[in-house]
Amino acid sequence: MPGAPTPWDGKEVSREVYLDYAAATSMDPGAVRAMEPFLSNEFYNPSAPYAPARRAHAALEDARASLARVMGARPASITLTAGATEANNLAFACVDGEVVTDAAEHESVLAVAQARGGVIVGVGPDGRVDPDEVAQAITPRTELVSVEAANGEVGAIQPVRRVAAVVAAERDRRLRAGESCPILLHVDASQAAGYVSVAVSSLGADLVTLSAAKVYGPKQVGLLWSSDRVRLRPLVLGGGQEGGVRSGTENVAGAVAFAHSLELAERMRPQEVRRLAALRDDLEGRLRREFPWCVVSGPRQGRLRLPGLLHVSFPRLDARRLVILLERRGVYVGTGSACAASRMRSSHVLAAMGVPDVVAQGSLRITLGRQTGAEDVAYASRQIAACVRDEMARLSLTDDDMRQAAGGGA
Amino acid sequence: MGERVFVGLSGGVDSALAAALLVECGYDVTAVYMRNWSRDLPGFKCAWADDLADAERVAVTLGIDLEVWDCEREYKETVVDYLVDAYAHGLTPNPDVMCNQTVKFGTFAERAFARGADYVATGHYARVRHGEGGRPAQLLRSRDEHKDQTYFLWRVPADVLDRTLFPIGDYPSKAEVRAACAERGLGVERKPDSDGICFVGEVGIRTFLLDTLERRPGDVVEWETGRVLGHHDGAFLFTVGQRRGLDLGGGPARYVVRTDVGENVVYVTADRSCPALWTGSLVLDGCRWVAGEEGGACEPVVRMRHTGALVSARLEPTGDGSSATVRFFQPVRTVAPGQSVVAYDGEVCLGGGIVSPRSYESVRPPFEAAAQG
Repeated sequence: MPGAPTPWDGKEVSREVYLDYAAATSMDPGAVRAMEPFLSNEFYNPSAPYAPARRAHAALEDARASLARVMGARPASITLTAGATEANNLAFACVDGEVVTDAAEHESVLAVAQARGGVIVGVGPDGRVDPDEVAQAITPRTELVSVEAANGEVGAIQPVRRVAAVVAAERDRRLRAGESCPILLHVDASQAAGYVSVAVSSLGADLVTLSAAKVYGPKQVGLLWSSDRVRLRPLVLGGGQEGGVRSGTENVAGAVAFAHSLELAERMRPQEVRRLAALRDDLEGRLRREFPWCVVSGPRQGRLRLPGLLHVSFPRLDARRLVILLERRGVYVGTGSACAASRMRSSHVLAAMGVPDVVAQGSLRITLGRQTGAEDVAYASRQIAACVRDEMARLSLTDDDMRQAAGGGA
Repeated sequence: MGERVFVGLSGGVDSALAAALLVECGYDVTAVYMRNWSRDLPGFKCAWADDLADAERVAVTLGIDLEVWDCEREYKETVVDYLVDAYAHGLTPNPDVMCNQTVKFGTFAERAFARGADYVATGHYARVRHGEGGRPAQLLRSRDEHKDQTYFLWRVPADVLDRTLFPIGDYPSKAEVRAACAERGLGVERKPDSDGICFVGEVGIRTFLLDTLERRPGDVVEWETGRVLGHHDGAFLFTVGQRRGLDLGGGPARYVVRTDVGENVVYVTADRSCPALWTGSLVLDGCRWVAGEEGGACEPVVRMRHTGALVSARLEPTGDGSSATVRFFQPVRTVAPGQSVVAYDGEVCLGGGIVSPRSYESVRPPFEAAAQG
């Protein structure tokens, strides 16, 4: 049989290279150390009245203050949640009226927006939102606009400030027209944290979502920052923690680790952005030299793309097969959003960008992170090349076939 | 390149090895994942996406194509609706029998042959003796008698069997099938055996039926005395011979003797040797014969449940051959209406029929006679 891959044997794996940091990051060792006491000796319920519990309470509030500092915000404006999905849901729960968002958002935003019959604007072929389209979608009854700071699948950094200007203009218009309907901007900055500034003043938003799990902190820990203009409404009722907005005994350990990891990510941001962009460009260059027909999605300009993210498509191939083949060579990559992949659906982001199915189905989302080095990138690019060649041979596809399939696409 | 085979790959151990053996034999193999059902039931997440991921791993390891065929409509119409309808009528159906007839060896086989397949293949424990010189193909029990699945295959016609391969039918045991999977690095060798109805999964048939049919409270009545012993949520939930799930609040173990969905009564007995739990004959409907037509009265061995004992009986076709009467030389435990009775001549599966409620029409509860007398 032509192109049958050689059966895998353990000896081939000379390296393990994890390149799916957008799906999950390892925890920063310092963050692990910081949270450890609150899982053991300092386990107290921060709402309890005795001294040790007050220590836990103080640690929680210190963490909140640190998080606020990174965001240039007041501690009281931060609501801790069990992750970004909950924070996004909480943001939408504060309005009753119409909502506007874009088609490249994370499922937790899209699902809520769709359930509310929201207007969903398209994105350009590079995955970016057009602020003018947002402006057109806004009606006098729109109460919430939600745009992520950066897309986790193709890495498009969104023009949040320009969307904020659109929202501010509408707010201005309503004020002058004597209309009382408020309008808010929500920004999901989960994928952006550590790569672009999450200072609330620079985002120009009223609500901002962050996730600890994307900045080398623990999973199921996140936050929603809200401006004074916003009155949050609880989704989880109970003992009235987090100012009555999010009941349930506080996750002190999680909050402490989150604060530690967000501070570190912010400190490392300038050099990590440079380092990862260089590695990503190296990876992209290697793959482009090997497969000049491969399709790289997302904005062309480096500064508009998340630095550690490469979204590359091999038309006519099946990305899920490539993932399995790469796993056998010790390389772990994603096929776009892990949430969509688990349901075997094609990517809603690529569909919104107008990427044809024949290209979309062969898409790998490769995300580099703190532990990725130059050697890893070199090794991974060799393995990707080998796997793509294997699959092409199995399907009797030539470089010309691939060039044609790619041309039919982009 | 060898002959073209489309193999059903479920993500399980058996079909994985089947596909591997076909590749090793030099066939040109295309794997197909049949997506029959993707709905989650309350408290049970349908595992189809995980199963597909496993199937994909196997296909990648073998270097063969995997296609996903959507068979949800056929499955819903011919298996799920049939199952629900049968239960609503007080029968205990074998959905696997219908699935094999209409989906795996129906839709799947038809589509595969239309795509140019010379053969279809599955990971069933069974064997085929392909027809020669105009003789129809024969269905044979698998070498591993404990795993034999011909009980679920008796409605597959000979012309499809003639173009079917069962690559693992000659394997001596499931353990060796698992070992063979492990040897080939297929990655599924530790998956547990699936049993029960695939789409119902772990929630069990009771939850599924209560989610689909309306709860209908009624009485649990003692067969001998007519005494009301307790209550149930619907006679359609119970099956003849059932012991568990009666919820009669203690007392001796009781067995379901009969369900009457018309009157919504479940009859039970505490007497294991109660005559109504035994029968000397069964009436079969919906008979099918693998060879195409029935061969007149005969004395085969028959089996009333999957891998159940093979017992000698006399089989007498009646009417146009779609019905039959099975007479046992020794009384056997009653079999729930709706279950299959499958006949064998040696290791050759002849076909079978579905137990008709008419089998038990004449047997009425003793207390009724007492009341009339």
